Amino acid sequence: MESYWKTLLTTPEAATNYRDSVRDRDHDLGAFLEFDPQRGCTAAGDILAERNTETAGDTNTTDDARSAAWAGVPFAVKDNIAVTGFRLTCGSRMLEKFSSPYTATAVQRLCTLGAIPVGKTNLDEFGMGSSTDTSALGVTSNPWDRSRVAGGSSGGSAVAVAAGMVPFALGSDTGGSIRQPAAFCGVYGLKPTYGAVSRYGLVAYASSLESIAVAAADVDTTEAVFRAMRAVDEMDQSTIECPADLADASGAADTTLRIGVLGGELGLDPAVATGYQGAADALKALGFPVSAVELPTIEYAVPAYYTIAAAEASANLARYTGIRYGLRPDYAENPEELVRTARDQGFGPEVKLRILLGTYVLRSGFQDQYYLRAQKVRTAIRNDFDRLFGEIDVLLMPVFPTPAFPHGDAGLTPFQQKIADRFTTTANLAGIPALALPAGVEAGLPVGVQVLAPAFHEHRLFAVARALAQRLPRATPPDYPPLWRKASE
Amino acid sequence: MDTSELHVTAELAHIELTDAETATLAEAVAQMVDYFARMQELPVDDLPPTTHALLTRNRLRTDTVRPDSKADELIEAAPDVEDRFIVIPNVL
Amino acid sequence: MYQSFIGLEIHIQLATSTKVFCGCRAAFGDEPNTNVCPVCMGYPGVLPALNERAMHMAYLVARALNCTLTERTGFERKNYFYPDLPKNYQISQYAAPLGTNGYLDVEFHRKKKRVRIHEVHLEEDAGKMIHAGDMSLLDYNRAGTPLLEIVTEPDMEIGEEAETLLQQFRRMVRYLGVCDGNMEEGSMRCDANVSVNLRGQGLGNKVEIKNLNSSRFVRKALNHEIGRQEEILERGGTVVQETRLWNENRDLTESMRVKESANDYRYFPEPDLPPFTATPEFIAAVEADLVELPAARRERFVREYALSETQADFLCDEKPLADYFEQTVEQGADPTAAATWLSTDVRKILNREGLALQQSPLTADRFASLLMLLAESRIHGKLAKQTLEAVFSEDKEPEVIIAEKGWEQITDSSQLTAVVDAVLGDNPKAVEQIASGDARPMGFLVGQIMKRTSGRAEPQLVTSMLKQKLALDIVHVLSFGGAISGSRAADGLIVPGDLRDLRDVLAGELPDSVRFEEVTLGQFLSEEITPTDWATLIDAVNTRLREGNASGIVIAHGTDTLSYTASLLYWFFADATIPIVLTAAAVPWEPVSERAQGDSEAVRNLKAAVTRATSNVPGVHVVYGDQDLSPLNLKFERIDPTAGAPFRNWNQSAPVYHGRPIGAGPLEHTRVELADRLERAIGSVFIVRVYPGMRGDALIALINAGVRYFILELFDTGTASLRETPFSLKHAFAYGAERGVAFFCTSQQEGIVDFSEYVTGHELWKEGAIPMGTLTTETVYTRLIATLALSDSTEDVLKRMEEEL
Repeated sequence: MESYWKTLLTTPEAATNYRDSVRDRDHDLGAFLEFDPQRGCTAAGDILAERNTETAGDTNTTDDARSAAWAGVPFAVKDNIAVTGFRLTCGSRMLEKFSSPYTATAVQRLCTLGAIPVGKTNLDEFGMGSSTDTSALGVTSNPWDRSRVAGGSSGGSAVAVAAGMVPFALGSDTGGSIRQPAAFCGVYGLKPTYGAVSRYGLVAYASSLESIAVAAADVDTTEAVFRAMRAVDEMDQSTIECPADLADASGAADTTLRIGVLGGELGLDPAVATGYQGAADALKALGFPVSAVELPTIEYAVPAYYTIAAAEASANLARYTGIRYGLRPDYAENPEELVRTARDQGFGPEVKLRILLGTYVLRSGFQDQYYLRAQKVRTAIRNDFDRLFGEIDVLLMPVFPTPAFPHGDAGLTPFQQKIADRFTTTANLAGIPALALPAGVEAGLPVGVQVLAPAFHEHRLFAVARALAQRLPRATPPDYPPLWRKASE
Repeated sequence: MDTSELHVTAELAHIELTDAETATLAEAVAQMVDYFARMQELPVDDLPPTTHALLTRNRLRTDTVRPDSKADELIEAAPDVEDRFIVIPNVL
Repeated sequence: MYQSFIGLEIHIQLATSTKVFCGCRAAFGDEPNTNVCPVCMGYPGVLPALNERAMHMAYLVARALNCTLTERTGFERKNYFYPDLPKNYQISQYAAPLGTNGYLDVEFHRKKKRVRIHEVHLEEDAGKMIHAGDMSLLDYNRAGTPLLEIVTEPDMEIGEEAETLLQQFRRMVRYLGVCDGNMEEGSMRCDANVSVNLRGQGLGNKVEIKNLNSSRFVRKALNHEIGRQEEILERGGTVVQETRLWNENRDLTESMRVKESANDYRYFPEPDLPPFTATPEFIAAVEADLVELPAARRERFVREYALSETQADFLCDEKPLADYFEQTVEQGADPTAAATWLSTDVRKILNREGLALQQSPLTADRFASLLMLLAESRIHGKLAKQTLEAVFSEDKEPEVIIAEKGWEQITDSSQLTAVVDAVLGDNPKAVEQIASGDARPMGFLVGQIMKRTSGRAEPQLVTSMLKQKLALDIVHVLSFGGAISGSRAADGLIVPGDLRDLRDVLAGELPDSVRFEEVTLGQFLSEEITPTDWATLIDAVNTRLREGNASGIVIAHGTDTLSYTASLLYWFFADATIPIVLTAAAVPWEPVSERAQGDSEAVRNLKAAVTRATSNVPGVHVVYGDQDLSPLNLKFERIDPTAGAPFRNWNQSAPVYHGRPIGAGPLEHTRVELADRLERAIGSVFIVRVYPGMRGDALIALINAGVRYFILELFDTGTASLRETPFSLKHAFAYGAERGVAFFCTSQQEGIVDFSEYVTGHELWKEGAIPMGTLTTETVYTRLIATLALSDSTEDVLKRMEEEL
């Protein structure tokens, strides 16, 4: 593996400088809920020590990659992913003071290579939102225009990368949660194949749909982080072994891949439509065989997605009662009152809405009509993709119909935001990988597009993205030059 | 969806609702549920449901004890503890 | 008439090392919240990881319950809030439980009944919540323990069946090594559902009962609940479909009053766990662990080793003991001997020393070699017991012990001939006495020979050598009161007397080789028999059987109680290898001087009895005139005294002389102990003849007076009033059942009344009574007191009472 990054944390002075610069810069942006490189170094050191005693003599984990390339490389972690020593708030009052006693497997793997988690990034409460504005613990703004949202739910992670504070950040993607903020902020955002990366340590919102995801400044970094995290985990039995012939497949630029461009009436904002067309044209210009394709079932992706996600969320969030950890009300007479009060005080309106919705679609009498039907729609969408990937190798799609919208009432209503998830939720329903990539800047705001491939074919996404980067290089927001640079630069 | 259905649902979910919340949430839930109805348009009756998109192979863990379960840390983190028991109020 | 339907939901904790979805130790009794981790505490971000061993054990139980094993199974989330449930959903199985459509054959009152198993599924246990004042304490050590739920169909009808099923299932899971089945500690738990309806109308409204912490509570709660529901229906009411709790302090069920809406579990597939496919390799591994189960093993032990059911029950109760037994037999030991020794001498020493068989110095090899030394006559019984003790105290091989101590017995007759000859030569008087027909000095001669060989001579060999040398057939005649040994006073009344001069009377009428030993055990009339008298008789018979020099034993007895004594002897000595013959006479035996009346009934019967005693037909016989009767179901009817046939056997197609005694092995108790045991036994028993108008509460008064065992003589087909009136026996049954009182039922009438058939016995069983089949009251009574005298626990008594003859 090639050496990428100039390390920022190797000397105490460098670390202090770095810390101060990020804090300074983040003051206006609010990407981080917690930023503490020193604590990150301690946590990473502990993980490394634990790992070494646990797997003494196991050559698989002492990868050659644990080289100077990774040593001291800072990365941010969305605050719904566990890192020992840091809080794990999920952007919720419920867990505002909750510290994680353990570290997510994906984070562990990166630490084992030498990378350092430096802080926790803001998000929509429990990952439920498309703006990061549902966070109960802070506001995150778009570095291209601070009156606008960062996107969500992994808004803090996208901003931390876009504003040059870290070379990459971990997020999660349940229905577009990495790709939409990546598009809003102009960075790369990868949602891996379901099961490729361990979810152990990712606070569950919709277990069957979500995945730990990567926001990064370039394709190389995205790919390197993905490959470092990808593994079967004994702590997560929903992880899947990558087929051997795909595991090492090259992600080098490859213009022979057949590209399908999703056509039809897509309902895009003009700026987005321009960027989308631009990306399609660029691919053609690069020599890719490009054809227009349809995905009829996309009309049903959002209802199916929200039915399943809400159903799973209603169970996943049942554990937050203030009994064992988290927000404990000052006074309650009995367990029932304790639980109700904790949940009333601890959850915001969007979380309550999704819990109620999920509870409702699972109730006896309604389950067949909603939850079961959604699972069948999910099958139809998977079949649709299977058909499509018989004809093409990679699918190009928009990420979101609009660029970053303003905070508050001037932006989209919560319902409009949900409807707008139509392009992103398909990959989650089908379990396939998707990569959002920058496709230029229109009217001062970045526009992103996404490419999708069959399960475990992430390398195709990297191959297309690398090629496209030649025509459409990523732009950085004018006020935020990177605080870091590649070792080769 | 009427408010009585919302209250039954809230009861199951152990969510407390004020009158104001009832009104706004009832509307928001209804809006989503109405939107879900469009799934009826797609003919899917003969399709099997997808419960696990890609998971097919057995995954099992060997029956060996994991050292360091972090029990002490977990107890320390609990809001109210007495003699290692986690305590909750229960006035009868 | 009502019919009840009982189904059970049994939960067992699987004995894995770790919990079902995390690597925490699954252990009982540790300090609170020590075996917990982020996973089983439901921390944010954790995931379940299915334990391979738990899955294996779960399929093993499903297989043992004859279930169809589900090839592709998976887990669902069952959603409900409770403080002891960390995630507020339980990972369980719903759509495709791992086992379905099985059955368990339950043996209830020696009849098999098939209870269908609806399903078997794996889930996780919850933690524990303890209430303490104005707060509750939570301990999550148990949270996540693998829990297997077994759901039966509503195929049981009464509490006793449910209790039996639980006990049998418990034994099964212990055999399989998947659970210790401890209901008190909660590793096995049970909820029950029950409904009552008019017979033939199908299921009624179902009530669930929870909080059943022992199989006894299951029985009590179900029977109480059936009664409650019947009462409601009786009054024309409707049973409310609900969940009730058993209140063990008040002995009743109470409504739980749960809100209906709280019961929508919203099951959906657990997204964190992939579906599970039971591959052929997986199934093969399960099959490989499927050991022979207790019921099958018990049947095989009876069949293969010719053991009694009680012996087989004893051996098969726990797998290690059954394994030990089979190892012993494999080494060449005789099965019956091994079973007998294990249930008597070995058990006694283990109890005394507080040892488990597996950890004791008595390895199966050593035990087998001890039994073989005995079987090969290298040691005799007394020496074998000493050797057994020595194995425990010295931890050595039996061979080594007998060699070191010089305990090997003399079994070679050539080695003994000289001693026998010498003893005979030294005791001419005794020899002469025997030659004249008096067998009494036999014991003296045997004793002399034993003395001269330091106890090493084999007693049976000595006796047979003596018999051969003296050309004898010895019949012991025991006089046990009654008219046969009494005399007629001048006023014509019969007074108790002594059986004398039999030899003279019978002289010339029997082969010369027959010798008599007359023993007077008592001078009393038949109706005056006491428990002590019975103890004396039993001890006398036992002593003679042990000495082993008799060809037969005759007992002269009175007529009135002959049916009792005869059956009592049967229960003790049914497996005797020589004839034990009881006889009696209605008129007294007359002295020699009135030789003219020598042809009296008494003389005739005695002659017939002695003849029978030399016939080599083993077992217990009753001879009267030319009748050869069974000691069981004997009825003294004196229909026509002149015909000389006052006795008859009820309900016997062919007379039964020989069979299984109540006790296993030789009788160990001394005469005094036996008298004491019989006396106490009789003190707890009461025979009640049911008659029209008898008030049921009379029995309650008797229970309060200390009666623990009733024999109820019922009407013809085994019926009695169970209708709700003061004359109903129902309340007495219920009252007794709560106090551990047993009711054995017989019929007042003759005729084959096999009311042990399930359907006819149902109503009685339901109330807790135990029908005794075709046995008469007298026979059941003696069976009961013999059983009580020889049993150490109530459970043993009940089991032995129902064992096949």
